[in-house]
Amino acid sequence: MKPFYILYFFLLLSIASCTDVIDVDVPEAPPRLTVEASLDWERGTTGNNQTILLRTSTPYFAEQKIAPVLGASVRVTNTDSGADFVFEDQNNGQYTTSSFIPVLGDTYSLEVIYNDELYTATETLVPVSTIVDVFQSTEGGEDEDALEVNVTFEDPAGIENYYFLRFQSDADLFPELYYIKDEFIDGNDFTIYYEKIGDEEGDVQEFQPGETVAIGFHGISKQYHDYLRLLVDQYEFAGNPFSPTPVPLVGNCVNIDNPENIAYGYFRVTETIKTQYTFE
Amino acid sequence: MKQKKKGNRAAHWGLVLSLLLGTSFLQAQNNFTISGKVTDQSNGETLFGTSIFLQGTDIGAITNEYGFYSISAPPGSYTLIFSYMGFNEVHKQVVLYQNMTLDMELVEFSTQLDEVEVTAEEPERAVLRKPEMSVSKLNIKTVKQMPVVLGEVDIIKSLQILPGVTSNGEGSSGFHVRGGAVDQNLVLLDEAIIYNTSHLLGFFSVFNADAVKDLKLYKGGIPARFGGRVSSVLDVRQKDGNSKNFEMTGGIGAISSRLALEGPMFNEHGSFLIAGRGSYAHLFLKLAGEDNSANFYDLNLKTNYNLNKNNRLYLSGYFGRDLFDIGGSFSSSYGNASGNLRWNHIFNDRLFSNLSLIYSNYDYELNINDFEFDWVSSIQNYNIKYDLKYYFNDAFKLDFGVGTIKYEFDPGRIKPTGPNSAINELQLDKKRALESAAYINAEHKLTDNLTAQYGIRFSHFNRMGGQPLNDYLDDRPLVYNSTLRIYERQDPIGETVYSKSESIETFSNFEPRVSLAYQLNEFSSVKAGYSRAAQYIHLLSNTTAVTPIDVWTPSGKYIKPQLSDQYALGYFRNFKDKTYSMEVETFYKTVENRIDYVDGSDLIGNNTIEREILSGESRAYGLEVLLRKNEGAFTGWVAYTLAKSEQRTPGGDAGGPGINDGDWYSTPYDRTHDISVTGAYQLNEKWSFGANAIYQTGRPVTYPNGQYQYEGVSIASYSQRNADRLPAYHRLDVSATYRPNRRPEKRWKGEWVFGIYNVFNRKNAASISFGQNLETGANEATRTAIFGIVPSVTYNFKF
Repeated sequence: MKPFYILYFFLLLSIASCTDVIDVDVPEAPPRLTVEASLDWERGTTGNNQTILLRTSTPYFAEQKIAPVLGASVRVTNTDSGADFVFEDQNNGQYTTSSFIPVLGDTYSLEVIYNDELYTATETLVPVSTIVDVFQSTEGGEDEDALEVNVTFEDPAGIENYYFLRFQSDADLFPELYYIKDEFIDGNDFTIYYEKIGDEEGDVQEFQPGETVAIGFHGISKQYHDYLRLLVDQYEFAGNPFSPTPVPLVGNCVNIDNPENIAYGYFRVTETIKTQYTFE
Repeated sequence: MKQKKKGNRAAHWGLVLSLLLGTSFLQAQNNFTISGKVTDQSNGETLFGTSIFLQGTDIGAITNEYGFYSISAPPGSYTLIFSYMGFNEVHKQVVLYQNMTLDMELVEFSTQLDEVEVTAEEPERAVLRKPEMSVSKLNIKTVKQMPVVLGEVDIIKSLQILPGVTSNGEGSSGFHVRGGAVDQNLVLLDEAIIYNTSHLLGFFSVFNADAVKDLKLYKGGIPARFGGRVSSVLDVRQKDGNSKNFEMTGGIGAISSRLALEGPMFNEHGSFLIAGRGSYAHLFLKLAGEDNSANFYDLNLKTNYNLNKNNRLYLSGYFGRDLFDIGGSFSSSYGNASGNLRWNHIFNDRLFSNLSLIYSNYDYELNINDFEFDWVSSIQNYNIKYDLKYYFNDAFKLDFGVGTIKYEFDPGRIKPTGPNSAINELQLDKKRALESAAYINAEHKLTDNLTAQYGIRFSHFNRMGGQPLNDYLDDRPLVYNSTLRIYERQDPIGETVYSKSESIETFSNFEPRVSLAYQLNEFSSVKAGYSRAAQYIHLLSNTTAVTPIDVWTPSGKYIKPQLSDQYALGYFRNFKDKTYSMEVETFYKTVENRIDYVDGSDLIGNNTIEREILSGESRAYGLEVLLRKNEGAFTGWVAYTLAKSEQRTPGGDAGGPGINDGDWYSTPYDRTHDISVTGAYQLNEKWSFGANAIYQTGRPVTYPNGQYQYEGVSIASYSQRNADRLPAYHRLDVSATYRPNRRPEKRWKGEWVFGIYNVFNRKNAASISFGQNLETGANEATRTAIFGIVPSVTYNFKF
């Protein structure tokens, strides 16, 4: 769920305001390792094929925003069974394996050696709940005339659950990310909608019939939920006066040799449901 | 009957006190006393701050909030001089051979209504001599003459062009005093606590200028009779209502309109005032093609009844509400409500008393229709206080009193609104507390040139039971994880249920307040002050600007009371026969136990706030200069503030370095330079003009220092908190007031006020946000400016 005080900001904007793009001098930090280690076991597959992305950070306004890391060594271990999975360097920032074995509830650890420094992280493979329905509507959402896609899932009662829901429309460059905790909805069927509201500049367009949205629904740990919450809120709202001061995002990839030089990104292991919806 | 009894008991107390203290003033016993009430001849309103002097002596007094004064002097013949800003001075011969009562009515300079003649805020000789410092007084007439955005007179915005007072940017609520936070201001409307001072997220203040008589902002040197906030006190008093004639005032503007009715009541034994305001901003928004609406209204009420010469009752009330709707999917309403019953009792010509019973409430409601639930939260308090003022003699005056406030906090309740709602009902733990205080304060003329004000306030806070509280291992709700280098919320190990008769925690504090004024000569004086203040309730807000849905919380097991110490030193001077005056002050203020929120804190619907916060400290220091031209066709001032406001939040019991690695960081309301120039020019009887120019250092913000790719988007990395700044803020506003020919026999008097806010249409950044261009994917910085050039027209009338 989004922090709803943000809604006041939208109100503020609609009362009287104008926005424009300006040049700003921003500080520049030295590059850091970024780990995007998302081991997602898609329900109904073996989950053997997995990719880990290693890159470095760049200056904020850099034109080339992807800086692949080559020559690192990457290994994942199931600490419950002792099984070891070595990820091979594809020389483009991708490190892959085709032998990963996912086990629900097992704990996995990640080891990355980069620039002679060892980074480690630990996570548990979290199960996901069931999607009950995916459907389109217009009357929901903020705009009564605009199309939205709805995802309804069942939340199991009596246990703390956390979810990550990712929408990616084939008409858009960027995904829409949602983090969900069941604190207020425990044990209920819950529906999340994704609606695009067109703006005057035409940067955003409402969903059109024929447009397809890829949906990823992940069961995640509390720690990853907290990380994602901050990541998504800062991505969407940082800088606006009704949001908290942006802060450094701290993932779970610890630098053993040089603790100050913590890596960006996160090592997650999730059970995932993938589906898609095409608007009619 | 009950009240009367109480009053009598307090009278005894007053007498005992005077016996105890009176012994050292025996030589004064030969004196006689002149006391009475000063009112405005035109409408019977009492005048607060009128100075009364015996010509040719140093003996004088200032009327209190209820227009009451008392002067003691040896027997003899005197000329009494009554003076009040904007009113004709009155000289009155008296022969003093016994105690006497002398009520006085003063007449405005100009009998024509609203002919603005801004003079000194207070006769300067009084300002020089009184130890009162760090106080900003604004005459409501001065406020009404300043150019304003959207054509609505705004008290809070007017304060912000005085030194030491800033806003946190356009479209943000509240105000900041001497580097303090919004929740550190005690805002009183007829003594009732106002929890949110803004309508429409800061566009308007909750104070209807037509219902306000005067206001006083204590930036430091807070008198001992006030307490409960560490930064400032804004004391706003409503008009009593015209006790002589029925009168109607009003205004029609582009965004809002207002109407006030006042007149005599109870066979001339009293008067009333009813004032209402409403906006039609929803029209404005709908026209702009938005499916949203925003509007507000408020209502002020006041009536008073003269029981007899020595007893007067006042009843006042305020009710305000804001209403928002975003496309039917989200709606919200919030507002203050308050009521106050007061009994003024004059025991004798030296002892004045006031008993107040006050209620105030702030609540909000959100309806999230998309997910079919409501969210409500409130804070309310009941307050009883008894204040006395004893005028021993010209050299010694005493204020003393007691009071207690009962708070009830409802931090939030979630309720599903439809059968299909996926939301479960939830009530966060309600909290209760009792804040009590007793104070005594003396104004003491030590020598002809040296006057001191010294006092002490004793405050006590009882966080009452009636709720469960989590227990944590080693009493640590938050622990630093040194591997991940983050603060982690701890799971409770149990729960302690406190019954309603138990206290969860109690605190008490002595708060000394001292100030000195030394008059160097007829034109200048130096003043110094020290004050300590305690604050027991805190506004939970981790956003840059406070929002209407922030929740107040009391001190208790995990949150300690904030304690401030402020030192101030000032130099005051009048030039050219008081046409010009200059005030220079420096201050240094520290606050202990200021909470801040750990990285990634989540305050919404949170029952365990202790797992989100660390306790730290803040400090602010600065220099304020105010140069004023007080008289003539052209009046105005230049205000300059040079200041620093920062805070530090170490890890404490939670371990680790704390927020921002334990280093000092700027508060969001730190402004290095803040300059305002305000001028008013009276061209002739028909036309007058006003202008404001404002320059401010930009707000501290945190900019990204790099980016990385994650989940297909560019994520910004951030480092030091508030280490960067928005571009400097500046703007120029102008206004013109036109009063058409008025025939004296006609009661209807109208005026047109034309204003232009931000004449140069400067796009001042209210915020800068960083994100990706949706088409190219390139990172870009987007500036949001709230107000460009805003012209306005308002028609005001009086009947």
